[in-house]
Amino acid sequence: MELLTLLIVLLLSLGAGLLVQWLPMRHQPIATYPQRAPFLGGGTPDSHAWSRYHVRYYPMTLLLIAFEMEMMFMYPWAVVFVEKGMMAVMEMGMFLAILSVGIVYAWREGVFKWQ
Amino acid sequence: MAVNWLRKLASHKRAPVFPVLGKQGDKALRYLALSPEIELVDSPRHASVLLIAGEVPADRLEPLRRVHDQLPDPFTTLWFRNEPWPHLENVDRIDDLTDLPAALTKAHRELMTGQRDSGCRILSDRPPNPWKGEGDFGQGGEGMMGGVPYGRPMAMNMQEDISDGLTLDSLTFRLGPFFMAFPPGMAAEVTLQGDLVQSWETQLEPYPQRLDAVFFNARKHPVPIAEIELARARHHLQRLYHALHLAGLEALSLSSLRLAHGLSTSSTLDGLRRRLVRSGFFHLAAVGGGLLNTEQARQFGGPAARAAGLADDLRSHDAGYRRLGFSPVCQNGGGVSARWKQILDEVEQSLMLARQAERDEVYTNDVDCIETPRGPWDEQPPEDASAILDEILPGLEWGDALATIASLDIAAVADRGGGTQSPGESRAVQGGSGNVVK
Repeated sequence: MELLTLLIVLLLSLGAGLLVQWLPMRHQPIATYPQRAPFLGGGTPDSHAWSRYHVRYYPMTLLLIAFEMEMMFMYPWAVVFVEKGMMAVMEMGMFLAILSVGIVYAWREGVFKWQ
Repeated sequence: MAVNWLRKLASHKRAPVFPVLGKQGDKALRYLALSPEIELVDSPRHASVLLIAGEVPADRLEPLRRVHDQLPDPFTTLWFRNEPWPHLENVDRIDDLTDLPAALTKAHRELMTGQRDSGCRILSDRPPNPWKGEGDFGQGGEGMMGGVPYGRPMAMNMQEDISDGLTLDSLTFRLGPFFMAFPPGMAAEVTLQGDLVQSWETQLEPYPQRLDAVFFNARKHPVPIAEIELARARHHLQRLYHALHLAGLEALSLSSLRLAHGLSTSSTLDGLRRRLVRSGFFHLAAVGGGLLNTEQARQFGGPAARAAGLADDLRSHDAGYRRLGFSPVCQNGGGVSARWKQILDEVEQSLMLARQAERDEVYTNDVDCIETPRGPWDEQPPEDASAILDEILPGLEWGDALATIASLDIAAVADRGGGTQSPGESRAVQGGSGNVVK
């Protein structure tokens, strides 16, 4: 019964979404090919714009993930640290050592140099 | 045509206008920028009215057709000082600049309320490259890279990397001549690798610019230095307007334009300069590049050369200017930031010279060689310098490249004066009138 209710809610929300899109578009003619071309101030492209692109914030993202993962594991580790003792310290040491390789790599990539 | 409530609402908003600039069309652009009822947009996709301002040369008609067909329905066109194409129906021609905002608003309202039909398309509704049914499975092409979807090839890694060893796909396209970040009329073939300019070839030079008539008069007879310096400051402020608009500092760009339109010997630059510094304009990443070497700076001449430390200024040789104690101001940098600092310093200097010259009634002395805001004019007026972009832009990031173009005054100077203007238009362009220029 719950699944059926969920399905009805899903269909209703999908229908409402499609209706809101269809209502203003129902009198609009389909865009012509020249209208759909990318705007280049009157110029023309040679190829599709879908290309491999340099995501310049990528190293910064890498660093964020490295630090975030570290903190994510340190909270539960702090809870079991008293119980596990030295073993927990060693395990966390190994984890941090592996993580620091990522940070060293990011350093080499110039992530600390702001462009 | 059914008119829904959205269109009724849209008819009350400011008219979104995409300007296509022909020769001398930039005056209309600056006039409309200060019109409260007009919203100038940078892409035809956001416009309901296409304004063709000024005469468009024959070699730019094909790009104009392409831009015309990129406006979404409903749209219309309005021709300013240009004859509409005969096959277009229900389009207006306007010749008086002061009538332009009202005509654009009227066209937009009529379009939105259904009193005016949408314009007709010019180009045929066919894919730019045939693709339907091509290939073994009708997928649009063939080849190891997955074919040519919709008839156009995918970007490929065709050229060596010039930056950081990260080889990316090269994207080649032609941009302009109606691209807002370029000087009017300029077009270039650009190859980008990611956001890096890999190659740049200027294909169409920008239209020659017509300077204020006082510079042409100064070539014939001595003119008041106050008048020529105000015209110089106005020219620089109008260029600053375009650069600030490109940087997204819209309010500041309009302030610069208002200052240019209402410029007099009592005007000061302090407020605008303070706001520019506070806005962080000089600290934008894109303003940090665009360095010219000495030879390139000399080729540009004028403020670009002085921003690179070359103290070349024909005003130094003029007896009238020497009487006012003139000496050229210079910077050391030679980059985009140095050029804008130079422009601000020159505007300030021009205002100071204008005040002194007005008080002492000083006239220019030399007529055979004058310093225009674009550069020195001795035997020939300053020539087009767009070809130098081919040397200086490769290797820059896209944002740096656009900021560099905006900081350089590259268009040639036409050897004729500012053209004919009605008295009302002259008031509007120079100092503003009525409710349009605030």
